[in-house]
Amino acid sequence: MNKKFRDSLINLGETLAMLVLALLVGALMVKISGNDPLEAYSAMLTGAFGKNPLKSQMKIYELLVKVIPLMMVAFAMSIAFKAQLWNIGAGGQFVMGSIASTAVALYVPVPIPFRIALSLAAAIAAGAFWGWLAGWLKVRFNANEVITTLMLSYIANCILLWLINGPMQDPYSDLTQSDVIPEAMFLPRLIGNYRLHSGIFILVFVAVVMCFFWKTPLGYQIELVGQGRKVATYSGANVDRTIQTAMLISGGLAGLAGWIEMFGILHRLFPDIASNYGDISNIIALLGGLNPYGIIASSFFFAVLINGGSSMNRMTNVPYSIVDVIQGLIIIFVIAKVILHRKNSSAAVKKSK
Amino acid sequence: MDNYAVEMLGITKIFNGVKANDAIDFRLRPGSIHGLLGENGAGKTTLMNILYGLYRQEEGIIKINGKQENIDSPTKAISLGIGMVHQHFMLARPLTVVENVMLGHKSRRGILLDTKETAEELKDLSDHYHMGIDPYTKIYQLSVGEQQRVEILTAIYMGAEILILDEPTAVLTPQETEEFFHTLREMRKDGKSIVLITHKLEEIAALVDEVTVLRDGKMIGTRRAEGITKEELTRMMVGRDVMFNFPPLAEMNLGVKLSIRDLTAVNDRGVPSLNGFSLDIHGGEIVGLAGVDGNGQNELCEVLTGLRKETGGSIFLDGEDVSGKTPRFYIDKKVSYIPEDRHTTGLAMNWNLKKNMILKAIGSKRFMKGGLMNEKLITQNWDTARDEYQIKAIDGDEKARALSGGNQQKLILARELNADPDVLIANQPTRGLDIGASEYVRQKLIESRNGGAAVLVVSADLEEIMQVSDRIAVIYGGRLMGILPRGADVYEIGSLMMGKRQEELAHE
Ligand SMILES: Nc1ncnc2c1ncn2[C@@H]1O[C@H](COP(=O)(O)OP(=O)(O)OP(=O)(O)O)[C@@H](O)[C@H]1O
Ligand SMILES: [Mg+2]
Repeated sequence: MNKKFRDSLINLGETLAMLVLALLVGALMVKISGNDPLEAYSAMLTGAFGKNPLKSQMKIYELLVKVIPLMMVAFAMSIAFKAQLWNIGAGGQFVMGSIASTAVALYVPVPIPFRIALSLAAAIAAGAFWGWLAGWLKVRFNANEVITTLMLSYIANCILLWLINGPMQDPYSDLTQSDVIPEAMFLPRLIGNYRLHSGIFILVFVAVVMCFFWKTPLGYQIELVGQGRKVATYSGANVDRTIQTAMLISGGLAGLAGWIEMFGILHRLFPDIASNYGDISNIIALLGGLNPYGIIASSFFFAVLINGGSSMNRMTNVPYSIVDVIQGLIIIFVIAKVILHRKNSSAAVKKSK
Repeated sequence: MDNYAVEMLGITKIFNGVKANDAIDFRLRPGSIHGLLGENGAGKTTLMNILYGLYRQEEGIIKINGKQENIDSPTKAISLGIGMVHQHFMLARPLTVVENVMLGHKSRRGILLDTKETAEELKDLSDHYHMGIDPYTKIYQLSVGEQQRVEILTAIYMGAEILILDEPTAVLTPQETEEFFHTLREMRKDGKSIVLITHKLEEIAALVDEVTVLRDGKMIGTRRAEGITKEELTRMMVGRDVMFNFPPLAEMNLGVKLSIRDLTAVNDRGVPSLNGFSLDIHGGEIVGLAGVDGNGQNELCEVLTGLRKETGGSIFLDGEDVSGKTPRFYIDKKVSYIPEDRHTTGLAMNWNLKKNMILKAIGSKRFMKGGLMNEKLITQNWDTARDEYQIKAIDGDEKARALSGGNQQKLILARELNADPDVLIANQPTRGLDIGASEYVRQKLIESRNGGAAVLVVSADLEEIMQVSDRIAVIYGGRLMGILPRGADVYEIGSLMMGKRQEELAHE
């Protein structure tokens, strides 16, 4: 227990050091671009939290609004990642979930409460199906999931574009978007007119479940499959089925994220609804070490970075792309850390006997 | 003052606060073979990895030929004339011998790769040391013993004057071991200095000039090998006497438990490797399967545990046809399996030890509480196993890859035997284990048998087979060559292993 605790402290320290380093290099970039790094970062902070965090509630609520999809998708990805399934197409599963649930909301003529339940089920099922497809392709044809999930993600976006240009296009305008879903189906807002909506309760629920998930037999099984096909098979796991299950759950969670975003914030389909959640959540999941607590913390970090970054962009001469640079650096550091650890612990041991 | 080839003085290496090496002095005389002995986890591999530049010591200095050197990488070690052959070979399988040699090291003379010239030099070296290696064969076509010779050849070709061999004979058949010793003696004659890590005490007497014993990371002493007895060495290693005797096995007759009929299977390359193998194993019986490595033993074990699909024939368990079932089915039927390959099959190397103990029991009620896998129960299970099997580890939270080779094997044993098996398939169960642990494992196999289990022991170690088996089956070319009773003649077993049929023997 003691050692475990120490290990997680070390791990935390390394992660923090990584972030600091990324921010420092980011500062250097700002400097090189002829701006004041201090000003840039303080603009970022006030952008994210407001001048006086106690008074500017709005900023805090906006942070939470951002955290919801980021964390949900990061959880989704972490489930596949643990099995060493690189589901980088969670954005596509998110889109499929949004499409399916919007379609139900707009076209299925049942009473609103049923329609909500139905749309929720449709979102999860559509995302799950999209994720499972990649799992099935891997099991059946040994297709690399990095490629299939990415391709399926493109396809999902194409389907979306086709739908909002054709069958599902908004009948009241020429814009490439769908009609607005019935207002009675919106996720209720929590505080006045702020955008923070009750989808956050679903997120909390999912976060709690995730904190236990890796202790369930299924969680163990998924993690075991990530340890290698041979040892998992030897241990009696059905590797092919577990791969499909992991992708199914991963996709289902991404689809659920799509539902929350659709009914909480967006209320209609339009191009690029998944924004770049897929990519950022990917980093969040890895930065958080696939650990639920780590993911919760990194989601907040990135929400601050994104919200703060866009207001820094508005308030100073520093372009938003500095946020992308910092993201890129974090990816590099995360990978470097993984490689370093592998080198330290395994290389030598592998070579010995 | 005479110069040593290697002097390691006051070497200390700490892993996670535990001293794997504690102020060790080690001296290797030039032109000698030096045995390095010690129980599992004593720190032998660690010490040699330091000499080879894979680990950095926390304290202590290293002198090569009297000159203090800072060995911070294998490249540096190689340039100092140090070569090391690890137990797990690191050759690129689809390439030829000569390509492998050139792969890591380009050419000694610069950027130009001259395959032909290198091949010729290798051939000369191989002939000089009677290794019989053709530089143009592909690695995967070589037996384990041959691959090992390729590793040694590579090291010599790279200019190694000091050769470290980590448990080289663990994977060799008795015949191969003889040839191998011959090669080593030739090398000694040529002035090379050799460190030989081993668990086999006979090898010390047969080959070695001096022997150093480690225990718990400390150096116990260095002795001349001449005249030293097995018992003395054991006492140095273990710190007490170890029993070598086994009581005769009491007769049990519980009927056929596992019946194998005309089994055929192909190996990973699609080549037939079981060609109509049949064998019955009774409850309360150990059948030892002798054979030269690579004659279908591994495939047989895998088919018997559901890890490989047979292409023909059938398996009956308690009379029920269980051919083609999944690994889970066999686990649930209490068929335990100690696989030969512990690194990718037997253990999840990046999982901690506690979890490795319950690999096959995920979802089992025994380790669950309120629908979740229960950390406390899992820890208790580990603690008991660690104590019972004397696994040397810190606290069970470390990864399996941090264990020494022998302790990894003990963990697998603990897991498989704790499942209280009805059938036990043990493939090379004591490979890499020290004598104390080996005796313990054999004791456990026999306990399992006495408890009524049907046990199949596959081993390259004939002595082990003779020690534990009620009957000895010999496999060659994927077929059963014959079954001999306990106490059979070694040479008879040897002939069967070389592919002579029992009937032919009778005619001679
Ligand atoms: N990379 C590592 N990280 C942590 N601990 C290690 C590492 N390598 C070795 N150890 C520990 O150091 C000790 C000595 O290990 P070493 O591999 O040198 O033993 P050994 O004498 O070679 O044993 P064996 O005969 O079982 O191979 C063991 O307790 C082992 O757990
Ligand atoms: Mg070792």
